[in-house]
Amino acid sequence: MCDLFKRELLFKVLVIGDFGVGKTSIIKRYAEGTFSTKYKITIGADFALKQIDWDSETRINIQLWDIAGHERFGYLTSVYYRYAVAAAIVFDLTRPDTFVAVSKWLNDLRDKVSLPHGKPLPVIILANKGDVAANKVPVQIEEFCKKNQIVSWYITSAKENRNIDSAMNRLILEALENQRNNNLYNSDSLMLAEEANSGTHNSSRLCCSR
Amino acid sequence: MDGNRNTDEKASFWKKNSKTVPGRPSPKKDVKAAQRSKTTANTSFQDFQESVSDAWELDDDDFCVISDTKISKKVSESAALNVLNRHRNKTEGQSQIAGVSSDFPVDDEIEGFRSRFPGRPQPMKGSNINSNEDCESKLDRFQALLLDSPNINELCQLSWSGIPVKVRPITWRLLSGYLPVNLERRQGVLERKRKDYWSLVKQYYDTERDETYQDTYHQIHIDVPRMNPSIPLFQQNTVQRMFERILFIWAIRHPASGYVQGINDLVTPFYVVFLQENLPDSQPFETFKVDDLSKEQRDIIEADSFWCLSKFLDGIQDNYVFAQLGIQRKVNQLKELIQRVDNALHKHLIQHNVDYLQFSFRWLNNLLTRELPLRCTIRLWDTYLAESDSFALFQLYVCAAFLLHWREMLLRENDFQGLMILLQNLPTQKWTGSHISMMVAEAYRLKVIFADAPNHLQNNSGDS
Repeated sequence: MCDLFKRELLFKVLVIGDFGVGKTSIIKRYAEGTFSTKYKITIGADFALKQIDWDSETRINIQLWDIAGHERFGYLTSVYYRYAVAAAIVFDLTRPDTFVAVSKWLNDLRDKVSLPHGKPLPVIILANKGDVAANKVPVQIEEFCKKNQIVSWYITSAKENRNIDSAMNRLILEALENQRNNNLYNSDSLMLAEEANSGTHNSSRLCCSR
Repeated sequence: MDGNRNTDEKASFWKKNSKTVPGRPSPKKDVKAAQRSKTTANTSFQDFQESVSDAWELDDDDFCVISDTKISKKVSESAALNVLNRHRNKTEGQSQIAGVSSDFPVDDEIEGFRSRFPGRPQPMKGSNINSNEDCESKLDRFQALLLDSPNINELCQLSWSGIPVKVRPITWRLLSGYLPVNLERRQGVLERKRKDYWSLVKQYYDTERDETYQDTYHQIHIDVPRMNPSIPLFQQNTVQRMFERILFIWAIRHPASGYVQGINDLVTPFYVVFLQENLPDSQPFETFKVDDLSKEQRDIIEADSFWCLSKFLDGIQDNYVFAQLGIQRKVNQLKELIQRVDNALHKHLIQHNVDYLQFSFRWLNNLLTRELPLRCTIRLWDTYLAESDSFALFQLYVCAAFLLHWREMLLRENDFQGLMILLQNLPTQKWTGSHISMMVAEAYRLKVIFADAPNHLQNNSGDS
């Protein structure tokens, strides 16, 4: 915040999809540059942070929310979706049913969260485990993306570090564009950044009491 | 108030663990070593002892190594009176309590509480803890109690502060209500229950599964290898099949909840304790090859884990039914409790947009198993099982005590990110049984303050 030449943005990005498709692995790869086969089951949601210097003037803090894919935790998603500006939906190329679930996740997302001016969140789809099943891409995926205004889709491999940076960059670019187009630099996203740093806002907004 | 004192204590505590004796895996070992060579490591040991300030009950591993923590009866009673008076005066303002609850309590407060409140595990030997004797006498006492059909209340009282390894398997079976107290009935019941489990397996697991069951099976099958990926024991095929069967049978017998992620972690303590029963004393379970056991031994471990898990979960089923209402309620109660006992911490969290749900959901869903090393979870289970019916509520106070333990570190974090990352990765790797003993003691203290005065937890949602 002290650097006068930089503007600092905060983006909350969601990573969602069925259980066991590799959401945690993708986030660890993206945020920490590592891969392990030993990640534990995500319970509720996990949180990670990635900072990127987008250009000489812009630094972006990306809050990555790794949302558990377990169905029983579904009622929690609205809490975790709040204030998100972009989302990646992940499925597992080796398990076709997880692609079917992509539309379920997309609906859940669209139902529960949108950008401040009512625009839908930019969404990308990640076809993960591309290291073992790159040839098993569902034929309908192109059409699905067109029909549902998906920004783009990628075959990824968290294990082999394939396409993850470029996919996430695409998503961040989209979030940036949304800000520019809506001329929102002084509004919500930046406000969120300021709130997170200064904590001077009305605290009742984020209480979990319903 | 006493914030500074706490900061200092905490700081020295964390330093001691990691720095003073490099390469030592746990403070427990520090203590052992310090006792062996008092001349060189004396300071470190004293610091450690001070830093954990209360060691009124130690788990079995620790009994023999810490000694001479003498507490004058007079001191303990006057301190206890202070706490009680503060509690009595609470109507005048919450801050009075907040002052004392920022850290784990010191011996005398606990001693006071334990002797004053009925229905609570009584002190082993008044207020004088002499551990060498205590170590043996505790095991002796368990063994004496177990020789005959034990009084279950006595067993709970004795177990609450930790169960010696040697008698843990049988005690857990008894506390779970799986093994009958009556000696004469035991063998018959065990045989029947174990047979029942295996016929359930035959009926539901070994046959063609219908579609709903197939989904459950599929999810369990994907989850089991991801449970404890860093412990070799759990990577063995035989072990994973055992967990699959336990979880699957439990899920289909409990259709209101079915399988919920996290329940897998709740099998682990039972499994390990019943496995250890078959291992030579010094052998670590982490690398043990389960295939080296006879099929009969393995079948017993599996069936007993299943039944004890079932009994254990009976008390907290509302944690796992649709929308997990039990957990949602407890998250709110935790928030209200912290607001009452440590408003500064509560405000700090709220001010930085940290929602209690974001960190305590996993604590409650997995009963802290994900936040603690397995050895500590097992020690915590001693207390949970000894709480029997009240354990569902007690768990809430344990979570509160756990959160309060980190208050100084949390207060030093100045943004949402820092807070969340700390809360999701709390540094408990070096914790031992004595940390758990302190945590449950603090939980007990909170429970005494609040459980008997339900209004303390109500009518308070407006001012958050």
